[in-house]
Amino acid sequence: MKRGIMVFLSLLAMAALLVPAGAFAADEIKIGAIYPLTGGAAAAGRELRAGAELAEEITNGVMADLPMAIAKNSGVQSLGGAKIKLIFKDHEGNPTIGADLAKKLILDDKVDGILGCYHSSVTKTVSAVCEQYGIPMINGSSTSPALTKRGFKWFWRTTPHDKWFTKDLFELLKGLSEGKVKGVKAVPKGDLINVASACEKTEWGSLVTQMIELFAKEYDYNLKKTLLYADKATDLSSEVRSLKATRADVFLFASYTSDAILMIKTLKAQKANPKVLWGQDAGFETPEFQNTLGDDIVGILTRTVFLPKVVEVKKLAGQVNAMYKAKTGNDFSGASARSFTGLQTWVHVLEDAGSTQPADIQKAANNIIIPGSELVVPWAGIKFSTSGDEIGQNVLGSGLIGQYQKGPDGKMVLEIVYPFDVATADMLYPFPGY
Amino acid sequence: MDILLGSIVAGILLGMVIALVALGLTIIFGVMDIVNFAHGEFLMVGMYTGLLTAQATGMDPLFSLPVAAVVGFLLGVLCYVGFIKFLLRGPMVAQLLGTFGLMLFLRNLALLIFGSSDMSVHHGILVGKSFDIGMDIIVPATKLAAAGLSVIAFLVVWLLMNRTKIGKALTATALNAQAARYMGIPTERMNALAWGVGGGSVTVAGALIVNFWAVNPFMGLLFTMIAFAVVALGGFGSVPGAFFAGLVVGMIMEIPGIWDFFTFTFDIGWMADVPMTSLKYMWIYAAYFLIMVIRPRGLFGWKQ
Repeated sequence: MKRGIMVFLSLLAMAALLVPAGAFAADEIKIGAIYPLTGGAAAAGRELRAGAELAEEITNGVMADLPMAIAKNSGVQSLGGAKIKLIFKDHEGNPTIGADLAKKLILDDKVDGILGCYHSSVTKTVSAVCEQYGIPMINGSSTSPALTKRGFKWFWRTTPHDKWFTKDLFELLKGLSEGKVKGVKAVPKGDLINVASACEKTEWGSLVTQMIELFAKEYDYNLKKTLLYADKATDLSSEVRSLKATRADVFLFASYTSDAILMIKTLKAQKANPKVLWGQDAGFETPEFQNTLGDDIVGILTRTVFLPKVVEVKKLAGQVNAMYKAKTGNDFSGASARSFTGLQTWVHVLEDAGSTQPADIQKAANNIIIPGSELVVPWAGIKFSTSGDEIGQNVLGSGLIGQYQKGPDGKMVLEIVYPFDVATADMLYPFPGY
Repeated sequence: MDILLGSIVAGILLGMVIALVALGLTIIFGVMDIVNFAHGEFLMVGMYTGLLTAQATGMDPLFSLPVAAVVGFLLGVLCYVGFIKFLLRGPMVAQLLGTFGLMLFLRNLALLIFGSSDMSVHHGILVGKSFDIGMDIIVPATKLAAAGLSVIAFLVVWLLMNRTKIGKALTATALNAQAARYMGIPTERMNALAWGVGGGSVTVAGALIVNFWAVNPFMGLLFTMIAFAVVALGGFGSVPGAFFAGLVVGMIMEIPGIWDFFTFTFDIGWMADVPMTSLKYMWIYAAYFLIMVIRPRGLFGWKQ
């Protein structure tokens, strides 16, 4: 009996040695997804998680009626149908926690790659860890321009960044003066000349402030004041009074969820009355922002990469959005659409690589071209820059500016007002005020 | 001029609430010579109490003040009887580290129960409403109500301390605990009462503040630091000192608004570039430092 057991164990050991390592690896591809699941940006974190999970479900299942490559087969075909397994971690908006989690994912969970992290400050530290260990990281939703200016070899970003988005805003202001905005007669530039901004002071908000300073100068606007505040601030009264004191025509913000809500509540309490009120996505686009503030957000502009209105012009976006809505009860937002696209890009890269070896993934990512027809976001596609001063940046992305308006049914919708040629409604100008 | 007057009004209103926050700290120190590092966490408990009571009962958060007062009183007494009483036997450093531990305990307990996300009041009779009191000066209704109710709470505590036998017993305990014991004053109970009144006043302040500020488990430290500055400025143990110093600190927090007045009235470019709002708490700590150097017992302090 004892001898029998010994023989059995020996055969098992031999079998284990004879089967190639890749065969085991093909069962499952582990991707570490690091998002802010608690803290001030937890609402956005839930969206990001749900978006990535939907892409995981579509990849691992077969959905023939979806015109997407990742829906055609179950798992990653070039890896023998290996399933994607997302391992979620919560960075709480803290760069140090993010870096620690990245190390744990790489060393303990042995992930094949990383997805995340939303906060640019966290993406910065996490991508540095990935660079150190030579593990590929795809970032779908951090928009600090500096992230792709570091020449990293293991970092790729699918979303356009804040330099493009901020330029879009100034194009919109210019368009208002030139009469290009749908439903608004040309506004004299003198009526919009004074601009003031208040941004949260982590990596992201600080860089948005720099972009605002850059483009205000380039487009010849008078930047009266730039404020930085703590994203965990519990009171923004003095900041709002300071903004009001500038008597600026245009208020610009870069805020995460809780501070975006607090900012608007304080603006209302202080009866602020700018002509244009614009948020740099993030907190300004979350369902929590809309649900909490109700009618107080009518007329607020936010830049984004995805609006529910996109489904009117893109059939695929409508189909995936319907699945997302069935799963979460909400429409896709800029955050969830981009985390979906982030994981989708991972799957395409793995499919092209045909391996989970970092070097193969790196080669595939640098050569990947995903056509716009595959994507839910209204971009021309995904192709990463491999030279110049922006290594790893998707060069085919683009942004939108939406405005909160009340539809005929009384529901709040984000209407597209920029780019001007795809505007879905007349822009409300000036901002109704409080 | 509206910028300047608006900032002064905002500073006075905020100062009244801050004074109430500091009141509990000064009472506890005045009676027992203990610096309570967990004071800000008591405020956080008051904020959560106000918020959750309003959410659970559907009533306006302002009406949750009695609940917050009871919770704060019981918390204060419980902390004293179950914890602080034993610390008194140890050296000063044990008392300091003990209340620091209490701070960490309450913070992490809140983190466990509520998570780290911000919570805030979205509905209420006064929430989101404001008055234009002329000259384009906007006063949020919640802050006006909080300031008014703070003054009332302050008066109640002041009357308790100065016009009742219990207050006199508390003062006697503060002046000389041993002599008070010889006179038949139950000093143990007085200590517990000081913690109860201190806890009750700060949780009431919390229930007022939650009407216009969001709450999260980490916010206590900021208020502990502000309360320390107020108590140091007003004088450790002085109730009128806490009120006066609260108003001063409220005004100090509005220095950015006063700065803006000069910036935009006289159109001074370089002043607009100074990040005054980012530095608004720095001035409080600078005042704290200055008062410690110049007059360590504070403006109204009677304890060395």
